[in-house]
Amino acid sequence: MKNFNQFFKFWVVGTLMIFTVSCERDVEGLTAPDNSKDPNVFIDGFSGGLLYAAFGGSYPAAFQVDTKDTYNNSASVMKFEVPDANDARGAYAGGAFFTQAGRDLSSYNVLTFWARASKSVSIDLVGFGLDLGANKYTTSVSGVKVNTNWKKYYIPLPDPAQLTAERGMFYYSEGAEEGNGYTFWIDEVKFENLGTVVHLKHAIMHGLSETKEAEVGETVKVTGLKASANLPNGIDQEVDPSAAFFTFSSSDENIATVNASGEVRVQGAGTATITAKVGGKDAAGALIIKSAGLTPKPTTPAPVPNRAAADVISLYSNAYTNVPVDTWNTRWQFSTAEEFFDKVQNDDIIRYRNLNFVGIEFVSNTINATSMTHFHIDMWTPDPVTSAKTFKVLLVDFGANNAFGGGDDTSHELTFRAPTITSGNWVSIDVPLTAFTGLTRRSNLAQMVLSGEYPNVYIDNVYFYKSGGGTGGPTAPTSTAPLPQYPPANVISIFSDSYTSVPATDFNPNWGQATKVSEISIQNNKALRYDGLNYQGTQFGTAQNVSALQFLHLDYWTANSTELRIFLISPGPVETPFTLTVPTSGWNSVDIPLTAFAPVKLDNVFQIKVEGNGTVFLDNILFRK
Amino acid sequence: MISKNIFQLGLLLVSFLYLGCEADDFQKLDERQWSLTWNDEFDGEKGTAPDPTKWTYDLGQGQDGWGNGEFQTYTKRPENVKLDGDGKLVITALNVPFNGANFSSARLKTQGLFAQKYGRFEASIKTPYGPGIWPAFWMLSETITEVKWPKCGEIDILELRGQQPSTIIGTLHGPGYSGGNPVNRYYSLINGRFDSDFYVYAVEWSEDKIDFFVNDYLYGTITSKDVPGEWVYNTPFFMILNIAVGGNFVGFPTDKTPFPQSMTVDYVRVYQKTN
Repeated sequence: MKNFNQFFKFWVVGTLMIFTVSCERDVEGLTAPDNSKDPNVFIDGFSGGLLYAAFGGSYPAAFQVDTKDTYNNSASVMKFEVPDANDARGAYAGGAFFTQAGRDLSSYNVLTFWARASKSVSIDLVGFGLDLGANKYTTSVSGVKVNTNWKKYYIPLPDPAQLTAERGMFYYSEGAEEGNGYTFWIDEVKFENLGTVVHLKHAIMHGLSETKEAEVGETVKVTGLKASANLPNGIDQEVDPSAAFFTFSSSDENIATVNASGEVRVQGAGTATITAKVGGKDAAGALIIKSAGLTPKPTTPAPVPNRAAADVISLYSNAYTNVPVDTWNTRWQFSTAEEFFDKVQNDDIIRYRNLNFVGIEFVSNTINATSMTHFHIDMWTPDPVTSAKTFKVLLVDFGANNAFGGGDDTSHELTFRAPTITSGNWVSIDVPLTAFTGLTRRSNLAQMVLSGEYPNVYIDNVYFYKSGGGTGGPTAPTSTAPLPQYPPANVISIFSDSYTSVPATDFNPNWGQATKVSEISIQNNKALRYDGLNYQGTQFGTAQNVSALQFLHLDYWTANSTELRIFLISPGPVETPFTLTVPTSGWNSVDIPLTAFAPVKLDNVFQIKVEGNGTVFLDNILFRK
Repeated sequence: MISKNIFQLGLLLVSFLYLGCEADDFQKLDERQWSLTWNDEFDGEKGTAPDPTKWTYDLGQGQDGWGNGEFQTYTKRPENVKLDGDGKLVITALNVPFNGANFSSARLKTQGLFAQKYGRFEASIKTPYGPGIWPAFWMLSETITEVKWPKCGEIDILELRGQQPSTIIGTLHGPGYSGGNPVNRYYSLINGRFDSDFYVYAVEWSEDKIDFFVNDYLYGTITSKDVPGEWVYNTPFFMILNIAVGGNFVGFPTDKTPFPQSMTVDYVRVYQKTN
């Protein structure tokens, strides 16, 4: 089975390969009283003026006129030989029967034919309206079930009145069934006016009322175009008509306009309903455009960087001279991202819309960031933040060959979540390059990929810099964490030099973790150090009742962690995480309301756990009022 | 469509068969004169119920699906039966579960309100369609309350299988010829369907004979000699209008049966012969 896009690509190629149309005839809007009303396409051979073209990439000889196995013992039949999958002669069977002169089909309501096959199959696509030209009024049925008995098939005309100069009489496209080729036969192809084919109906959006949220400038397509008529057996036959049969209209053109192809352009804020008519009759279904107007954008510029220009390699910032970037959107396959170069208070920013992922390349001038220590990017999103949603930054180095591939490429992706990411604020992501642990070289940086679950993102100040500390920033705290000032009566301490802590607590129980735990001393004040963190538990000497207390207080310090969560645990285990903002610039003190750990039993907590990555320092782990 | 104001109806001797046939197909029928004895033109406000002095209802799922294994439950909700405000009655079959049945519909009758022996019974109807849809305009003898079916007699003026929307059936059920073995007459349109427009379905019923008409074309006659059992059509009969869904006669509705399905009735008129 092929998809239609693929088929259509072949079709265009095939047109060029097989036919050159010497004169184009514009039939738009013309009434054609002189056009032939010949209803016959193939009865006992080609009807007058009928031509055939095989689709490009198809087996060109798939269609033959045969005199054996005809329907009703007529003189001849159309025989279609579907090739096996991977047949060197062609990948499938497909082609169009068309005329050079348009025919007037307006007095017919259905295209009928008889068909049978050498086995029970489902033919991918059968229809009419492909004319090797504009293909304006195409109508098709997909998945036509055919078996070994002759049966009559009906393709209702979506609006006969418009078919006054039609050249596309019949077409088909069919690939092997589960890899196997076979043969089918079609006979008595003709347009008819049947009183037994009635109740012609039309629909857009599959007959449903669908609401789409969109913003000014966005284009939304009316889809689900359908027509159906009830066949002599009481069953509806649905067809897929082209947009040309439909006349689209908008309830409010100040909010959304719609063109003849059913493409809706959002113009302003509000709600507009797109509906359609065929032949003056309403089509079922509607596309309701809910436009919030323009997407919110930052009202203030991102914080102006203050690094010395000599310490910076900038890709995008008004504060520095930027290095050349090939593109801010490589438009890789499956990327839905659109980029816009925007300004806020004269500060240049880049907007990404519909961001799933976007490639950014500086391949022509790869960046040598070996002397740099940090990566910086400012991002702003109007999208609601949840703890599950991510914003990711991938850096790629092309290695010594300075080219994609070759086995020497290295890369690493960092993931950022709430609370690092916030909505409606400039978020400065400033991370040591050592945090990109998989990026083992950085002398030929060539690509950056931004991705995640925030479809609307503005970015600014994308640069590498060298921090004042030399080849790398500080990797460990040089000062003690702020000394807690809570009255001892209000504190149950787990780890702190300022209080008497719960005795016999095990700071490195064997839970199978990879983390290396050590106790260090900074200015004679002890701190916990986690290296190579994946997760790390702490087993209290005795279970604690902290239900009378309000907060879990914690001081932490990390230069390179990109993910950090702390869990409070009661037996069960019942455990609940809390996400900590990382990396830190200096010590971060947090007071986490104990209610954030529900449903952990606060009258019986006995463990804590830290999950994440990087090197992390902890101090003053205590419960307080 | 026939004007609704004709209460005296003189049928012409010659009635053309004007459905996809040649111009010289015509019938010569004896002249008869009718006078109107009962009618409902279904004038009334949109969405309201039909005249309760003329129609009553069968409700629910009946015994064994009204004896036919039908799937629907009958209601008198406006969703299933109402006037359209344009002089028509609309009976609608829905595939929305209701009261334990997967389908709902309506069945109207004149039982206890009107019945007549002999005469002309006619209705202008646009039928519903689709596999498993079974519309009917039919009659039962008043005596059904004492004499059981089929002994009481049943006259089906119009029946149609939704999967054969071009074919109508006129039928008599009586003792020894009922259920799957009745006496019936068929009529099919060559290039048309009974659901694409209104057609007038009628019987003309006299002591020994029932004639079946569509648009005044006589397509079938059943006389007392044609039935293999007793001729029981000599008591007053009342009328019924309904859509059944599924059942022995029509088979199952399928997922391809379009829903909702409506039977639209422009009028029902009953005449007695004038001499």
